[in-house]
Amino acid sequence: MTGWRTLFPNAWYISVREFRSRASSRSFVIGTVLLAILAFAATQAPVLIDKVAGGSQTRIEVVDLASGLPSDAPTVLDQSLNGTATSGSSLLGGYALSWLAGGQLSAAQQDLQGGKFDALLIVDRDPASSDLVFTLRTDMPADGRQAQTIGNAVYSLAIEDRLARAGTSTAAVLAPAKWSVLPVSLSGTATTNNINQELSSSLLSTGLVVLIFMAIITYGTWVAMSVAEEKGSRVMELMLNATTPLQMLAGKVIGNGAAGLTQYGAILGAVLVGLLVQGPIHRAVLGGSDSGPAVSGLTVPLVASFMVLFALGFLLYSLLYAALGSLVSRQEDVQSATSPLMMLVMVGYFMSIVAIQSVTDTWVVVLSYVPFFSPYLMLARVAGGHVQLWEFGLAVVFMLAAIAVALFLAARIYSAGVLLYGQRVGLRQVLKAARVSR
Amino acid sequence: MSLVIDSVSKNFGEVQALYDVSLEIKPGEVFGFLGANGAGKTTAMRIVLDILRPDSGTVAWNGRLNTEVSRDTWGYLPEERGLYAKMKVIDQLTFFGKLHGVKPKKAEQETRDWLERFRIPEYADKRAEQLSKGNQQKIQFIAAILHDPQVLLMDEPFTGLDPVNVALLKEAFLEMKDRGKTLIFSTHQMEAVQELCQSIAILDRGRVVVGGTVRDVRRSSGRQMVRIAVDGDPEIAWLATIDGVRVSRRGQDYTEAEVASGHDPELVLQEALGRRCRILHFEITDPSLEEIFIEHVGQIDTSERTLAPKAVYA
Repeated sequence: MTGWRTLFPNAWYISVREFRSRASSRSFVIGTVLLAILAFAATQAPVLIDKVAGGSQTRIEVVDLASGLPSDAPTVLDQSLNGTATSGSSLLGGYALSWLAGGQLSAAQQDLQGGKFDALLIVDRDPASSDLVFTLRTDMPADGRQAQTIGNAVYSLAIEDRLARAGTSTAAVLAPAKWSVLPVSLSGTATTNNINQELSSSLLSTGLVVLIFMAIITYGTWVAMSVAEEKGSRVMELMLNATTPLQMLAGKVIGNGAAGLTQYGAILGAVLVGLLVQGPIHRAVLGGSDSGPAVSGLTVPLVASFMVLFALGFLLYSLLYAALGSLVSRQEDVQSATSPLMMLVMVGYFMSIVAIQSVTDTWVVVLSYVPFFSPYLMLARVAGGHVQLWEFGLAVVFMLAAIAVALFLAARIYSAGVLLYGQRVGLRQVLKAARVSR
Repeated sequence: MSLVIDSVSKNFGEVQALYDVSLEIKPGEVFGFLGANGAGKTTAMRIVLDILRPDSGTVAWNGRLNTEVSRDTWGYLPEERGLYAKMKVIDQLTFFGKLHGVKPKKAEQETRDWLERFRIPEYADKRAEQLSKGNQQKIQFIAAILHDPQVLLMDEPFTGLDPVNVALLKEAFLEMKDRGKTLIFSTHQMEAVQELCQSIAILDRGRVVVGGTVRDVRRSSGRQMVRIAVDGDPEIAWLATIDGVRVSRRGQDYTEAEVASGHDPELVLQEALGRRCRILHFEITDPSLEEIFIEHVGQIDTSERTLAPKAVYA
């Protein structure tokens, strides 16, 4: 193990070769293009859904309990629900509003429960702040797209109201509105009023965790495949004299990682472009002014921690993938050889999906320091906004330590594994061989 | 100043691959490892290259342990040959050159020179998978020597080559020898050994059964061979009646007889003259390496005891 001093430039040459051979392969090019197209298409899905759902109207009755509502309140609400371009026509946008005076509340509730309407929006004024307070009674999911759209619309109305009352500052004007979503049954209690924020943070962390999960599985397998391929084609024998196992390991992980990042970059680029053009396309297809889901909550610390955890997670897992890949002689056997690792990745992934809903639970906090799970759970915690800098640092230190151990172990297994041929080499056999090989 | 293998032993689980092997190979020498499948030739080479570590014993080159000398000291043509199937020959060879610290420009120039010498310059821009096995083998040979190693180890370099390519490879060997390189190769082909090697070691089940210069090894048994042909008597039946003489082969051109240790092969000539035979051919020689090999190892056995992988080409 004298490889540290001489890790470069050979590891660099190997990684360049790995990258080129990977990136120039037909499967890589086709896969990248296909995934980028898919990702782009996925960003346009809301447009398609709106197009399909365009025919079915959502009927909302609005009961005005507030005094002094701006006279243009119906227009404001209608426009923010259905878009400016379709002024007057609620058919295309899909929201039909009927305004009722305050006295008709009980009748309206009867209508709602009778199914004549999909939702009942109650507009009231908080006597203390004189701000508008909205209540939506509906069986539509509280975190659904429609409820969100209505939420956005009433926010516009609230702003309109505040502006109308003037004298308030800009900051006050832009402050979030209080609004509650209640079930149709009158005994239901209000859910928290910061649904939007919570929702976007859990959606976001789910998305980021999926990104890491996919990267580790896909690109880790690439590393294992590339090791098995080299061993299967016996080019390994030439490599063994030209390099050290450590150089090969490092080169493979870096080269395949770079190829993976390239593919990822292409896909994320397609998503970004998709989000940017979503609005214009939406307008062109539907004539609405839907601005699409805002990528809110994507803060600099979150993006930075994502990148750190992504890199460290990939390093840790791909070293192990390389070690397992060295145990098989044929590429066909890679899948079964790496299945234990796959299980580990899956466990981490599923745990994180649960954890996103409860980032402050003790088990999540504890497991977020376990290097194999840190990429998911620590990320979920960061996205949830419940992490101190030192906590994040501690997880990173643990991961770095785990990577050092994995590097040592993987180099050992690798140097022994690459010389053993046969149907399937057992781990015990390898560890035995590892003790006496360089 | 030589390659010294000192009491090297190596086990793979139950299998004892090498048992207390000691050898000294002089610089500039062509050295042959002879042995049946699984005799330990490949393991011995891998240990010299520090790809494998021995259970006990050491290997030193010019007084320095092989774990301390630069990897670029060695050139290795493994028995199981492979190349990156999708990579162009020239890219592939420059890659291996770079790994050994050869500047890309120089590696490319050297590669083109060697391709020229092997009469395949047009293959530089082909992918490895487009080449025949014989030509792939030449590429691998170039990969092994591109960095101008001091010691060249080749595992069964002649297998799978047609006679023309064997001749080309032998030519390349001799050129490396002229450049002062030390050449070590393993083979089954006794003729090639007799033709190329100064020294050999015969390995049997992990042990060196006999070693030294080819001449010493051939004389080691003390036996001598007599080749005789007489006019009008193809059988030469009287040969077998001489004490210590055993007919080993009856050929078209001559009959070959083995004269046991301690007996004078001149007796055969005297007997022939005594019988007033007209002698067409008489030759006293040492046993061939093949005979020595069979004497020590038994029939060249083809049963599998090998740890080496089956050949698969990319």
